[in-house]
Amino acid sequence: MSTLDTRPPRALRGTRRGDVTAYVVLSVCALVTIAPFLLSLMTAVKTPQQFAAQTSLAPPHPVTGGNFSTLFGGQYDFVTPVVVTAQVVGVILVGQLFFSVLAAYAFARLDFPGRDALFWVYLATLMVPQIVTIIPLYAMFAAAGLRNTFWALVLPQVFGSPYAIFLLREYFRGIPEDLISAARLDGCNTMQVLRYVVVPVSRPILATLAVITVVSHWNNFLWPLVITSGPTWQTLTLATANLQSQYNGNWTLVMAATTVAVVPLLVIFLVFQRHVVRSITITGFK
Amino acid sequence: MGEGRHSRSQTRTAYALLAPSLFGITVFLVLPILVVIWLSFSHWNLISSVTPAGLDNWRAVLSDPAFARSLAITAVFVLAVIPIQTALGLLGATLLTRGLRGSSAFRVVYVLPWICAPLVLGVVWRWILAPTDGALNALIHQRVEWLADPRLALPSVIAVTVWTQVGYVTLFFTAGLQSIPTHLQEAARIDGASAWQAFWRITLPLLRPTLFFVLVTGVISSFQVFDSIYALTPQGGPEGVTDVIAGRIYYQAFQSRNIGEAAVMALVLLAILVAITLAQQRWFGRRTTYDLST
Repeated sequence: MSTLDTRPPRALRGTRRGDVTAYVVLSVCALVTIAPFLLSLMTAVKTPQQFAAQTSLAPPHPVTGGNFSTLFGGQYDFVTPVVVTAQVVGVILVGQLFFSVLAAYAFARLDFPGRDALFWVYLATLMVPQIVTIIPLYAMFAAAGLRNTFWALVLPQVFGSPYAIFLLREYFRGIPEDLISAARLDGCNTMQVLRYVVVPVSRPILATLAVITVVSHWNNFLWPLVITSGPTWQTLTLATANLQSQYNGNWTLVMAATTVAVVPLLVIFLVFQRHVVRSITITGFK
Repeated sequence: MGEGRHSRSQTRTAYALLAPSLFGITVFLVLPILVVIWLSFSHWNLISSVTPAGLDNWRAVLSDPAFARSLAITAVFVLAVIPIQTALGLLGATLLTRGLRGSSAFRVVYVLPWICAPLVLGVVWRWILAPTDGALNALIHQRVEWLADPRLALPSVIAVTVWTQVGYVTLFFTAGLQSIPTHLQEAARIDGASAWQAFWRITLPLLRPTLFFVLVTGVISSFQVFDSIYALTPQGGPEGVTDVIAGRIYYQAFQSRNIGEAAVMALVLLAILVAITLAQQRWFGRRTTYDLST
């Protein structure tokens, strides 16, 4: 079981008064963490009139959905960014999981010439930051005539990520050899072994990876900023940034936009929080 | 496994399985590195055709005081963010591993900022720190230009970054602390060590791998900070005081349309990050992730 839930013995847990102090510190930190989220939600359900007339800390009265309907209405059309982002994330998720499983299995379980060198190349690419590849990728996509298309948003990510492959490889190496050879004896080919043995026993790591993939691509900003222009392929982060720079001061509307950008992730997070928390403690980076 | 010779069919299967990711990595990661090197020796403004530039871009960037200043700002940013978030994270983790009830709920709360888009959090904080209608000034009943005052902009951006990341650092230290066998600390305490001594002599040395990992990944990601700074203080901030390196690369490439110089800056950044990663390898051995068996 997870080591996260073990409680240290009482002897190491300090005094009652220490416990009280710890609770106070932890609660203050929790408040500081949550306050911006609450403030932005609170502002998102305020009328612009109330926001202009009263202090920003005043509770919303009346509570209104008006900012959201304005946001999704004709002028701002936030429906498009939500749909675009969901589509991009969906396609990347399916592609990345599928192709990463294939590659990770090859690295974990098959013996072939060049394996170690190739794996080293995959690992080395983890060092390359996004800001470095953004300029050449822009040049390449521009040359291919793919600027401001759906393909531009998904292609660089859809074939699997070295990071996912690395994580899955570690996990696949732990699968008992007997399980795989039994399936082989039953006549399974490699794809069947993957489908009926490897994937089912790897569900926890796949769920973890799925959450990481959704979170990081839902949040992606730089690449959409560079490669798209205009409203057609605007993602949520881009739409939020544009709304803020164009309607600076129209904060009730902007906070409605940040709420729309954050809430789906918070829901996913709360449903899968054990996986997310575990993934952070396993890996420490997206 | 371990047969020494590679069976032919296995080799064929392996390469078939690797083909899609190999295509992706070659075209979207390896090829771009070659292209960016080529662009660093070229003139290009995104519109007209690419012309050779020799060492022009390299000379221009390496002698540009604005670029040096940008590197210095990034260094200050990293040197402020990392120690603060590491110390706070260590403190938080120590409190979370006291075995208090509700620790896991606190843990979930602390991670919230980490899963949200830095851009979106930047927008939220831009409002909180806004001078007239922002929440922070309303709270303290003052009018402070948190993001527009050249003296305050960088500290404000640093504070927001720490706020965003400290929960994740805390979580990571929590896992590290819990992986330390408790009997070691118990033995120290029975031998008469104070809690403080046990922390310095037992816990901290055993936490070293976690500490290094948190420091190095933190340094690498802070060096590349872009989204939140773009939202908080666009265009390098007041008087350019938040002109971090990733932002400079972006503005240089896509606003000034000076692709050649931006490519040089990107390569300098890449060299810095590779150096940090290699230093990490030396300090840290080859172990780059944690045991997945738990």
